[in-house]
Amino acid sequence: MKKTVLFLILAMFCLQTFAQKHSVNGIVRSSDDGVALPFASVVIKGTTIGTSTDFDGKFTIEASNEDVLIFSLIGFSTQEVLVGNKTEINVILETETTGLDEVVVVGYGVQKKSVVTASIAKVSSEDLENIAPVRIDNALKGLASGVTVTSTSGQPGASAQVRIRGIGTINNSDPLYIVDGMPIGGGIDYLNPSDIKSVEVLKDAASGAVYGARAANGVILITTKNGSNGKLSVTYDFSKGWQSKWNKRDVLNAQQYALLINEGLVNSGEEKRYDDPYALGKGTDWQDLVFYDNAPVENHQVSVSGGGDKVLYYFSGGYYKQDGIVGGNFDRSNYERISLRTNTTYNLLDNKDRNFLNKFSAGINIAYTRINSKGIGTNSEYGSALGGAISFSPLLGLYEEDQAAAAALHPTAVRDPKNGLIYTIAGDDYNEITNPVAQLALPGAEDTSDKFVSTFWGELNIWDNLKIRSSFGTDLAYWGNDGWTPEYYLGKSSYSDDSKVWSSMNRGYTWQVENILSYEKSINDKHNFNIMLGQSAKKTTGRSLSGSNKYMVEENGDKANIDFTTGTAANGDQTAGGGAWSPHTLSSVFARLSYNFSEKYMFQATIRRDGSSNFGPGKKYGTFPSVSFGWNITKEAFMDSRPEWFTSTKLRASWGKNGNENIGAFGYTALTSTGNNYAFGPGDGVLVNGTKASGLANTLLAWEESEQTDIGLDFGFLDNALTFTVDYYEKKTNGMLMTMAIPSYVGESKPTGNVGDMKNWGVEFDLGYKFKVGDFNFNIRGNVSYLENELVNLGNADGFANYDGYANVGTISRAENGMPFPYFYGYKTDGIFQNSSEVNAHVNNEGGLIQADAVPGDVRFVDINGDGTINDEDRTKIGKGMPDWTYGLNIGIDYKGFDFSMMLQGTIGNDIYDATRRTDLRYINLPAYMLDRWTGEGTSNTIPRFSFSDNNGNWLSSDLYVKEGDYMRVKNVTLGYTLPKNLVNKAFVKSLRLYVSAENLFTFTKYEGFDPEISSGGTSLGIDRGIYPQARTYTVGVNLAF
Amino acid sequence: MKNKYILIFTVLFSILLGSCKEEFLEVDAASSVLIDDYYNTEERIFEALVAAYDPLSWTDYAWGQFVQLNLVSDVMSDDVYVGGNDQGDQAVLHKMFNYDATPEIVCSDLWTTLYSGVKRANAVSEYMDDVQDITEPTKALYLAEAKVLRSYYYMWLWKLWGNLPYYETNLDFPYTAGQLSATEVYEGIVTTLEDAINNGGLPMKTTSENTGRVSLAMAYMIYAEVVMYQNDESRYATALVYMNEIISSQNYNLNSDFANIWEASGEWTDESIFEVNYFSNNGGKDWGYAIGDGGTVYPKLIGINSLSGSSDFDGGWGFEPVRQEVYDLYDDTDQRKNAGILNFATYAAQTGATYEGRYQDTGNFLKKYLPRANGNEGASASPDMNYNNNLRVYRYSETLLNAAELLARGVSGSGSAQSYLDEVRNRAGVGNVTATVDNIIQERRLEFVGEGKRYWDLVRTGMAATTLVPNEYRTNTWSENKKYLPIPQSEMDSDSGLTQNSY
Repeated sequence: MKKTVLFLILAMFCLQTFAQKHSVNGIVRSSDDGVALPFASVVIKGTTIGTSTDFDGKFTIEASNEDVLIFSLIGFSTQEVLVGNKTEINVILETETTGLDEVVVVGYGVQKKSVVTASIAKVSSEDLENIAPVRIDNALKGLASGVTVTSTSGQPGASAQVRIRGIGTINNSDPLYIVDGMPIGGGIDYLNPSDIKSVEVLKDAASGAVYGARAANGVILITTKNGSNGKLSVTYDFSKGWQSKWNKRDVLNAQQYALLINEGLVNSGEEKRYDDPYALGKGTDWQDLVFYDNAPVENHQVSVSGGGDKVLYYFSGGYYKQDGIVGGNFDRSNYERISLRTNTTYNLLDNKDRNFLNKFSAGINIAYTRINSKGIGTNSEYGSALGGAISFSPLLGLYEEDQAAAAALHPTAVRDPKNGLIYTIAGDDYNEITNPVAQLALPGAEDTSDKFVSTFWGELNIWDNLKIRSSFGTDLAYWGNDGWTPEYYLGKSSYSDDSKVWSSMNRGYTWQVENILSYEKSINDKHNFNIMLGQSAKKTTGRSLSGSNKYMVEENGDKANIDFTTGTAANGDQTAGGGAWSPHTLSSVFARLSYNFSEKYMFQATIRRDGSSNFGPGKKYGTFPSVSFGWNITKEAFMDSRPEWFTSTKLRASWGKNGNENIGAFGYTALTSTGNNYAFGPGDGVLVNGTKASGLANTLLAWEESEQTDIGLDFGFLDNALTFTVDYYEKKTNGMLMTMAIPSYVGESKPTGNVGDMKNWGVEFDLGYKFKVGDFNFNIRGNVSYLENELVNLGNADGFANYDGYANVGTISRAENGMPFPYFYGYKTDGIFQNSSEVNAHVNNEGGLIQADAVPGDVRFVDINGDGTINDEDRTKIGKGMPDWTYGLNIGIDYKGFDFSMMLQGTIGNDIYDATRRTDLRYINLPAYMLDRWTGEGTSNTIPRFSFSDNNGNWLSSDLYVKEGDYMRVKNVTLGYTLPKNLVNKAFVKSLRLYVSAENLFTFTKYEGFDPEISSGGTSLGIDRGIYPQARTYTVGVNLAF
Repeated sequence: MKNKYILIFTVLFSILLGSCKEEFLEVDAASSVLIDDYYNTEERIFEALVAAYDPLSWTDYAWGQFVQLNLVSDVMSDDVYVGGNDQGDQAVLHKMFNYDATPEIVCSDLWTTLYSGVKRANAVSEYMDDVQDITEPTKALYLAEAKVLRSYYYMWLWKLWGNLPYYETNLDFPYTAGQLSATEVYEGIVTTLEDAINNGGLPMKTTSENTGRVSLAMAYMIYAEVVMYQNDESRYATALVYMNEIISSQNYNLNSDFANIWEASGEWTDESIFEVNYFSNNGGKDWGYAIGDGGTVYPKLIGINSLSGSSDFDGGWGFEPVRQEVYDLYDDTDQRKNAGILNFATYAAQTGATYEGRYQDTGNFLKKYLPRANGNEGASASPDMNYNNNLRVYRYSETLLNAAELLARGVSGSGSAQSYLDEVRNRAGVGNVTATVDNIIQERRLEFVGEGKRYWDLVRTGMAATTLVPNEYRTNTWSENKKYLPIPQSEMDSDSGLTQNSY
């Protein structure tokens, strides 16, 4: 016993002596200019013991002779130094050569950028920092070539339409989002962009093939942050912004309005409506009343990260709140998000004594997000707030002139919550268009969402470089909508005689299990192999429940609950619905072989076999192969004599096949369909239940397949300070899922089949340049993409299908074989008839008048099919919403403590269909361009005369509505200042940066609407029905690090 | 210690890898059942049969065309005009009226509706094999009902289009059926009926709670109609036997009051052999969902435009005015004159009611199906779409006239053509005429005005070409090639194997 104790004491003593520490100090400098580097991390290898350099680059640390010090700093290569008996260690850190030594996240792994053979766009956390986006989909705008991002609207929290290399299918063309290995459904706004380390966009089929049946529309891989060894880092970011409109639509003021209405009446042979238009002045500017200027937006963000040999951790909390610039002040367009995340990695075993079962690590990432949002209609010509603001008569005031009379006539008229005054009630002239402010004063519905996404993983080194990684992930989402309406009266077709409250709740649950075996081997440093084998299984289930009831006991938002109403089921006041979703499962195996010879010749092959529950027996499985090649030409001997500035060139080529299984369940079979009833018996009879098949089964139903070929060149110059990449691709979607064009005599609704084809091709350029001039550091990156889309075959008998419509104008967009999908559809115009001789000169081959009903001032339409008359058959392509070119430019400049960044982004070659003017309503306000209408010979050759009788069809769907949609937007400008370290260090602050920024500072466009960026409502891009515009935001903020 | 975890980890991995079987991809629909697994009880197969009845009620309006079967038949005849606002209002009817229907403008809704019926009727026998607990008589009865329904649907398709894609087993990929000639289709219909009649155990008349279901008399009536339309003399004797069976069964009688037949209280009287049931209470038919359960829009369509001052009828949209010369055909003592046709001048004199005439107005309206006041009471969806007037398909008077005609044509069998004809005329309150074929055809016109019989009588008797000639509104003359309507263009487009009728 005693001996043992003695031994232990001795042992401890020995250890103590053995690990005798001494003080080591030194200075860390930069290789660039020899300046001292503050805040470089100095850590004893294999421990959490460490320090960081002070403002003069100095450090002091206690270390023993055997210790190895690790010096690291972002932007510099890490260096290790054995302490030995040195007491002073001065280190020069090499600035990290970025670019081709970067690591890129690929599906199920990472690759050195220099050996990547696929087309992958990377967006790093630094790229995201400057634009501080709310949603990651919006943030990709302008940052990556080949990715067309269009904000749906300016409503807070609004999503964006993301299209990778064009519109791949007439069905769902959204890309697949994978966050830390977990596929995310139902939108990714749960993700706090501050938590993101990098975003990789897998653009070509070769990179996407490892996601097989879901990759046809591209894959967006998102990796969240984790702690790094040895550094505790605490950050707090705060910003506060003020948002305002940046543009108003020019409409008529009261005097102009009255003049034009009178003119329209007189021109149609009716009496004038207003005796003295000139006495009416400017009238009401409804846009000023609807827009909410200086709407606040606020963001708080705290993160803690760090770790040691055993544990790496990152956790964060974020709070974001934004009021919308339309209705935000009425609590109708508001967004609030709370997000929490913890990412942890545990190194459970690290045994260097053996080369089998020697390393085991595990980790868990958990994110929870709650979002509360309220929204208004964002793009509708049928009486949305902004649609109303540009349509409502400027002669009307905000409030009813005779309050008592209005109250007597409409006791439930909407009142201003602030002063109790009754808002002006829309008269019969406006159909469903109502007073836009009164509309906002009604209560809206609130969307709530709670989402938990977690991934648990473990990785074991089995032998040599053979590793197995297993992960289990879940995505649990609860969301719902709650709302109520009081009894109210806005107008003849917009009122509610009963108060009503409704609520819906949904929950969805997805789990995924993946196991990946990988082996890496390098033979003689020449033959480098990487083999990966994997398995994945995933299942999604969900339920929903909803209900409503009439007659609230109190018309009060706080008491708007279904159980506080007096409606009864017997009277049909109550509704209830809901049920389970049909489950969806996916089971897959996949393999990837990467090989390179001295990083000179690269080859990669991927194959994935997916099984999906969406397809029937014999069709459940699909195989998705891809191959790609790379050639680092500059590694060839014959390139040795190239000029020194010519650093590298790589040629890439790839081909692959991906799928789209996103089509809903049971298309391949027939289920029961109830409600096919018949009444037997005399009188009203007794209704008897009948059941039939839900449709025809198409057992041959399979995936949409997309094949893509990509050829790319990567150049690096000046030690990769200047990089240039160009890619060309061709992508063809085969077997697009559509209703089959089979005869109706089958006696049943027609099944879905693989019938259509779509084609996209394009070119993408990316340029990056980093350079220094004196103390100025410049970082410039730009990208340009060109895209062409063609719907090869719609698969139906007609070869076309009508898409969007617009009020009484009818069809305005179409899908058609051989055309871009979709395109704007209408008549082509050829000026205005200036006089009757021009009308009479517009004749066909037989000398007949082409437009017999036309009078001077009417539109001359083009007889496209040359049949001598103007009819439906003369409608043709008059534009398209998808741009030919999209581009982005980022400029960053550092000077000492100052930093400046600017991002430009824009499109070329897209059109906007201006569907904001309701030609079916007489007395709505008109756009200001109507002031330039034809009023006599020579007055206008573009805008027809204004008349309420229009036998010529001047306002049929035509190119008069189609405007150039090109724009260039100064998306973000930021100026920051980082306080000198010696100043802030005294307050235990590692760094303190203050900044001001402006979002959407300038927008250069010929388009006169609220915003040229429109993807909300309908299927098409670029149809403006009075879009809720994006705000111009001025922000001040602070970044603190401890 | 660590190795233990490694072991657990490895074992877990193997389990996960092994657990991924084919069944994982077999998911079950949440709120539905695979149709192939569903029909396993008598109760459930009856649901399939009910679903086959359902399309009977869609013929008035399903997806946009007002094409009730009697209406499309009669606009091609010499009894009624189309009416409405102008020739562009329900162009399908106006085109068919003038024998210039096109593949694009033809009653394609009927094509789709009737084939839906065919498909559902076929489904009953397809699913029957899986039913376990059904007795043989019930099974035979259900199969017979389905066959009679299929014959009914095919009969209308055959009369309208003649040369049809014909199938008795529902279609699989590539979803096309061979097109049969009109004669082949006829053989299909007749043999199906013979099968149902001989093997089905159908009751001559259904019990009261089952009114609306197929009876043996209904099968007999379809048989007689197709056989006589085909002029298939080889089956006349059988048709006559069937008619005589109905007559001698004592289950059916003429309703003494002709006017009463057309009221709600006159539905399913002893005279009624088959009606399509429509009801208004909780009627759920709606614009955009016209194939729901409930009433019919047809009465509203033919209702009197801007009617006021009437306590008997609701107003309507002024379609299907009855020609003056038809009104004038009747003796003044003929009950059918003012019970079947509403002569507005007469009515106005009695009631002071007014209306505004529309296109092709004659002042005569088809009283049989006019929307009765309160005829849509209790409708939960669109009131216009939920009138409760049943569609009278076969009345006992037609049985008598069929038998009379067959006998007059010299078919040997029991019964007397004269007494059968007299029975029909006497009920109407008019004296006897000689039972010649021509007189019987004329009697059919008087008895069934507005019931969709006249046009087919003219076609089958060869009188169409001489009778259906231009008039004030009709510019074309009927000719033999007008017998079969153009097949809808969308069908021609989606099945290249179809041959278009030379209309």
